[in-house]
Amino acid sequence: MNLGSRKLFDRSLTGISVMAVFLMALSLLVLLGPIFSRGLGAFIFRATSEHRRMILEQFGRGDEEDVAAEMQAVARARRPLYGMLKKFEDELKNMEYGKRLGYRAQLKEVKNLLHDLLGPLPGEPETVMLRQEYGQTRWDRAQAKLGQILFSEQWDYSDKSSMGKKMLLPRRQFFAGTQLEPLFPYLKNNLVQMLRPHLVFYWRFLTDTSLDSHLFGGIWPEVLGTFYLTLGAILLAIPFGIIAAIYLSEFASAGRLVSMLRVCISTLAGVPSIVFGLFGLAFFINTLHLSSSKSVLAGSATLALLILPTIIRSAEEALKAVPHTYKEAALSLGASQMRMVLTVLLPAALPGILTGIIISMGRAAGETAPIIFTAAVSVGQPLKIWETLSQPTPALPWNIYNLATEHQAVDEIRHVQFGMVLTLVLLVLLLNLAAILIRARISKKMRG
Amino acid sequence: MQRNERNLIMSDAVSRLRRLTALILKGFLLLATALSLVAVLLIIAYITRDAFPFFKLRGLGELFKSTAWFPSGHPPEFGALAIIFGSGLVTLGAIVVAVPLGIAAAIALSDILPYRLRQTVKPVIEILAAIPSVAYGFFALVIFAPLLQNRGGSLLALASWIIALPLGLLLIFAVTEIATRSIREDMVKPARLILAAVLTAILCRSLLALSAMLSAVKISSGTNALNVSIILGIMALPTIVSVAEDSLQAAGRELREGSYALGATRAETLFKVVIPAAGSGIIAAIILGVMRAVGETMVVWMASGNAAQIPSPWFNFLSPVRTLTATIAGDMGEADQVTGSSRYHVLFALALCLLLTSFVANLISEWILRRQQRRLGGLK
Repeated sequence: MNLGSRKLFDRSLTGISVMAVFLMALSLLVLLGPIFSRGLGAFIFRATSEHRRMILEQFGRGDEEDVAAEMQAVARARRPLYGMLKKFEDELKNMEYGKRLGYRAQLKEVKNLLHDLLGPLPGEPETVMLRQEYGQTRWDRAQAKLGQILFSEQWDYSDKSSMGKKMLLPRRQFFAGTQLEPLFPYLKNNLVQMLRPHLVFYWRFLTDTSLDSHLFGGIWPEVLGTFYLTLGAILLAIPFGIIAAIYLSEFASAGRLVSMLRVCISTLAGVPSIVFGLFGLAFFINTLHLSSSKSVLAGSATLALLILPTIIRSAEEALKAVPHTYKEAALSLGASQMRMVLTVLLPAALPGILTGIIISMGRAAGETAPIIFTAAVSVGQPLKIWETLSQPTPALPWNIYNLATEHQAVDEIRHVQFGMVLTLVLLVLLLNLAAILIRARISKKMRG
Repeated sequence: MQRNERNLIMSDAVSRLRRLTALILKGFLLLATALSLVAVLLIIAYITRDAFPFFKLRGLGELFKSTAWFPSGHPPEFGALAIIFGSGLVTLGAIVVAVPLGIAAAIALSDILPYRLRQTVKPVIEILAAIPSVAYGFFALVIFAPLLQNRGGSLLALASWIIALPLGLLLIFAVTEIATRSIREDMVKPARLILAAVLTAILCRSLLALSAMLSAVKISSGTNALNVSIILGIMALPTIVSVAEDSLQAAGRELREGSYALGATRAETLFKVVIPAAGSGIIAAIILGVMRAVGETMVVWMASGNAAQIPSPWFNFLSPVRTLTATIAGDMGEADQVTGSSRYHVLFALALCLLLTSFVANLISEWILRRQQRRLGGLK
């Protein structure tokens, strides 16, 4: 090859590898972008009057008089709407049977949707479920509901060769010529007065308990559960992890036993997390009977095994990074080896050990598979600290899965799901950021 | 002599006591360290113990030969071939995504990017590694799957351009280089230009045709093997990049400088000197990264479609699949109530397969990394 093409080849390698790095960064952005932008929607959104009423009645926050005044104003705006409904019902009674039947089914649908949008309609019986007591608490959801009221969804299967096509038919056309026809434009034009959306910063999303399986309220039980699980795992893993690291870096002589221990540590790190879950179920619950069924304790123990290798490795690295002169100085002053480790080595290596602990905390907080069989439940109340020994708990990672796949109204609580993902990701990112900062400080110190 | 020295500092009795306590403490430390060993042994023992009744009852054949997976049927059928195949398929997809990207990125990090840029890229890798798998799964299910379903064709077309164009141009360049090697000196330049122009035209034409074909692809469900493969590939990237970069670094300055001194370019140094020296470490990196994809649960559970079938044709990445991990996670919820049934034990049998795979992969990568350490250590 001549020089020119060799250079070109060299440059194209540079180009390709830089592109790979770029793609990696891009995929991180693509991943985090929607999680952040839509996750914030759980905290900052346009709340309707229904939201304020719900917060007052369920959580006891807000000014009673203000909410009452607002409810009155809202009721004034809604009155003509309910009037139209009433008039149409009267009209329906005098209609011939066949026509009446067709309208009645549609009317029922409209009324259900209106109920979902605005809360209980006048004259409806008392409701049992909390979700039926309030209309839409979020303006974006209210607008989606409005769309469902204005247009009914139909599927067009006339083209046999492809799948059905979605069509939106205006309901107004269906009710044309009846007393209900003006309801649709009225609703569309006056929805703002009926729900009065205001932008709020609902930071209590983190600390409010969830109501009616996450249709209202916040994610406190999950946050607390994740906190317990992480704390438990870290408390169980730290002593063993640090002791193992001390042994491996200071006391172990190169031999068969030590190399076997090392192999075991890396093997443990490679065990798939779901296998940890099965092991936790078979060992901690079915054999040791730590608790009669799932519990935070069993989950923490399982997670502790999972993060043990990370802690050992990082602590060992931190211990090895302590300059030899430190140790030699301590030993030459007559300290025993154990004393040297406790008073010189450990304090010097502490920041490094802390980084490893923080990173494994992030790992423990985010792991789902090990807690499925050992600790997590979908619905639960926040636990008291002593209940963690025997009770299962909701936890952020598990409930993200559960709400995104198994909840009965997956689409209605997207904001809760995104809020949970954002909370979890932020938690992990903040932990990692702390680790990165500590590490930067260490390397600065080492450089002098 | 040593004994004499010690006598200078302390009396014999104190020394004996000290040595005894030191020994006891050391034993205690060893005991705590052995927890990892105990844990590994316990995991093997308990998974095997609960997997054993299944093999005793149903034998080995059914699990690995049949594709009929109806654990709750009457009579139940436990053919996990399709599930094992599904795990294999998404892993293959993840390899295709992660290995080229990961190795290229590792090369960039170890040899190409300037120091300052490297320091900013490293946190990106750390964050990619730190993001919980359930967040990846959520992204795959809620954002990526609908995108694939609605705009899948155009996405595939775009991806084909992004991937094929640079590689194609590189290939054309290599081909013209080789083809014009034996031509007369003064003819080389025009011959190359013409050849390159013709080949580029062919490349663009075929890429256009390919992207037109891909745009027409209708993806009936966004939760499929392709979706999962891409996400798993991204999840495996950090492992591959960091381990491969470590071993590229471990090849050392001397090797590189020797090669530069002989007049090699950076690319030649990398391909002819550094990568051969660090090759085994890169293989270990790939193994570790791939194991991350094999053992991953949440992403595949949420976004693979969970259909226990072998796609037809087998490489059809657009069809839903089901993997070992997702099966364990999904079926245990129902099987849990009937502890002791074959439905419960079959999941342990699947877990045993996973566990053994991960053990073997880990031991191999461990062995490779250690051998490389020894060899490179000897080089220095």
